[in-house]
Amino acid sequence: MPSFESVHTQTGESTWARSRSGIGGRLRALRMAWIDNSRYFPLMLLMPVLIFFLLWNIIPLLWMVGMSFYNYSLVTGQPPRFIGLGNFVDLYNSFAVWGALGKTFVFVFFSVGIETALGMLLGILFWGSTRLPGRRLALTLLFSPMVLTPAATGTFYRLIYEPTFGVANYLTILIFGAKIDFLGDKFWAMPAVLLVDIWMWTPFMILITLAALGSVPRAELEAAEVDRLPWPQRFRYVVLPHAKFILMLGIVLRTIDSFKVMDLIYQLTRGGPGNTTEVVGITLFRKAFEGFTMGWSSALAVITLLVAIAFTSIFLYILNLRQRGGAN
Amino acid sequence: MSKRKIQFLVTSLVVVMAWTALSGFSPSQAADHPLKGQKIEMAILGIGGWLPSRLGVDMSPLFAEYAKKNYGYDVSFTFAEAPFSALFQKAASTLATRSQEYNIIISDSQWLGAFAEPGWIVKVSDLIKENPELDIEWYDRVVVDTYMEYPEGSGELWGLPEEGDTIALFVRKDLFNDPAEQKAFKEKHGMDLPQTFEDFENLSMTDFEKIAEFFTRPDKGLWGTAMQYSKEYDFMTMYLYPFMFSRGGDIWDPKEYKVYGILNSQVNAEGMIWNKRMLNYQPPGAVNYGIAEEIDAFTQDKVATAFQWAAVGLAMITEQNKDRVMVVPPPGFKQADGSLKRLYSIGGQPWVINAYNDEAHMRVAVDFLKWWYLPETQLEFAKRGGNPCVKAVLEGPGFEDIQPWFRAFKYMLRTDRSRDFWHDPKYSEMLAAQQEGFTAFATGQIDDPMLGLEYAACQQQKILYEAGRSKIKPPKSCDDVRLK
Repeated sequence: MPSFESVHTQTGESTWARSRSGIGGRLRALRMAWIDNSRYFPLMLLMPVLIFFLLWNIIPLLWMVGMSFYNYSLVTGQPPRFIGLGNFVDLYNSFAVWGALGKTFVFVFFSVGIETALGMLLGILFWGSTRLPGRRLALTLLFSPMVLTPAATGTFYRLIYEPTFGVANYLTILIFGAKIDFLGDKFWAMPAVLLVDIWMWTPFMILITLAALGSVPRAELEAAEVDRLPWPQRFRYVVLPHAKFILMLGIVLRTIDSFKVMDLIYQLTRGGPGNTTEVVGITLFRKAFEGFTMGWSSALAVITLLVAIAFTSIFLYILNLRQRGGAN
Repeated sequence: MSKRKIQFLVTSLVVVMAWTALSGFSPSQAADHPLKGQKIEMAILGIGGWLPSRLGVDMSPLFAEYAKKNYGYDVSFTFAEAPFSALFQKAASTLATRSQEYNIIISDSQWLGAFAEPGWIVKVSDLIKENPELDIEWYDRVVVDTYMEYPEGSGELWGLPEEGDTIALFVRKDLFNDPAEQKAFKEKHGMDLPQTFEDFENLSMTDFEKIAEFFTRPDKGLWGTAMQYSKEYDFMTMYLYPFMFSRGGDIWDPKEYKVYGILNSQVNAEGMIWNKRMLNYQPPGAVNYGIAEEIDAFTQDKVATAFQWAAVGLAMITEQNKDRVMVVPPPGFKQADGSLKRLYSIGGQPWVINAYNDEAHMRVAVDFLKWWYLPETQLEFAKRGGNPCVKAVLEGPGFEDIQPWFRAFKYMLRTDRSRDFWHDPKYSEMLAAQQEGFTAFATGQIDDPMLGLEYAACQQQKILYEAGRSKIKPPKSCDDVRLK
């Protein structure tokens, strides 16, 4: 016969266990009803990110769009004055803005074009050289430029390009017997800046190419090899259909990034000589953070954003068009 | 009480009174100080990598000792900094939110209007009325015009000079004193190489150009001179202005805020051509030179002379070159009557006080400034390499011998030899437009200097007109002016 204590204990435990399972069960049921089975559950999971996105992206973006309709200078002490489309009209009439946009397009065209071509070439070489001794080390070294900050890269390239003691001029004297003021000459400044960007970001396109090539099914490659398909055709008919999506993603990312380039060029030439390397990012920086014309700068930022969105849309449209074409 | 005892007591009283007056405080002032026994943290915002700005902070422990001893409170300082081109932005972003993150700011002189107009800084005129110790006799009127007053000629003061600065010519004595060089120069140009301060005082830019050309020997890695042409901040502007101001050119009419028709003048265009021609005697890449690049070129013995701010004298004169460098006035420009005129840009920075400081921080800021202008503090500042502006200090015996550049600095710190430009709130926009126009010509992007001037004048007139600061609209012809 169980003692009073044990009965009491058993009874107490079971009561406690019951009550625990009862509370737990109720809580669980409540959780199932309100959270797990709720149609808002995915939204709840997304909520932290959405709040962050709303606070740091959407609200500032809307604020910027709103500010673009005002004349507001941070340094005059005057409140913002609504001027409608005044800033946009001024942008449209500004030679400086059109000039900066033109230089930006030139920069984007050459930087993304050359980086993509070089990146794909080197990526394919690395992809096909799995038995190359030191391949991993070579890849690591090759990727190192893109992990550097643009400000640091700009600073040391300024020294490399320095006409009196820079390495670049040591080489030009060896090869051509003449010095070149890379960053001070109106003809050389843009190519010199482009070269630094290409040096810095070609590794990114190599990485993208390697990822893209990795997505090609091995069976299809082996079939192409069995069929002795020549390399260009193998690339066109086997590799490209699979790799093009990732490649296009890389190109889109690089295009957007190149379009808003500022720090690298600012460090190298400050947009000079004259305004030969003044891309739209530098114009924006000058007007916003040196001129403190917040309304005008917001309008330019809105235009820049729209152009970046247009770029992305065009790429995606082409991609979808080809995809549809392929499906047909 | 004997007459002798009375005499002794009176004398003692006079001595004590004189001592307390000279040391800048009275025992009752210390005893009654409202912050006595408190601990205050002050923050100064200054210019990064700029020694004079740093000196203000490096010397702050001396003020902490002084405050403890004389006012009875503990004070510590923190220092934030940003480069010239970013400092205003850093200050503006906190002041616009009425923050007292920085209690005292080392501003650039052109920013006075931009700080004063929104009411971000304390009006020093009022401060001086309440604190007569800050009513100081400055070395020259140019100190008030440059570091204190806004708007021009209004008599309203907003800053106090932290440090004065003028352009000086740093010269390699070893080259100029070399008999072989002297002989060769004499044979080539029929004149002597200048040797003394006085020789340089009488040197014209035309003759200086001959000297610069003479020392330009690219095969030996030596060039005649160095100036600043960088597009960054005001570098190009500051070193082009002397070619305009000294030859009768002007940049605007501050009463009517008129730029167009004044900046874009023939005399200024000729100044630009001359300034660009000087690039022929400077190292390759000089078109991108700023302050730091010039220091490098001079200390690496690449150039025989360098036009440089006196404020960076400590960086220009190193342990290696200190025995072979002299600092002299920059050349003058020959006038029609044969006289020499030199009107160079002025540098230097004022202290400004955050208007949103609470009572305690405001009190410490004022105490700090009173201490800063004590003769002993100013002398210590000078010994550490800073350029004071207090008349009593500059005219004190032996001042010119404290630092090698002090004589040239003092010589140039005069209204007729150094001049500042706009203190207007719109200065940064106006400056950016001007830098673009000026550098476009210097770098060869455009061939016509008048186009660069037209561009700058049109842009600046437009900025002033649209901001409501000027009633003068840029002419219709400005619509077609662009840098190709």
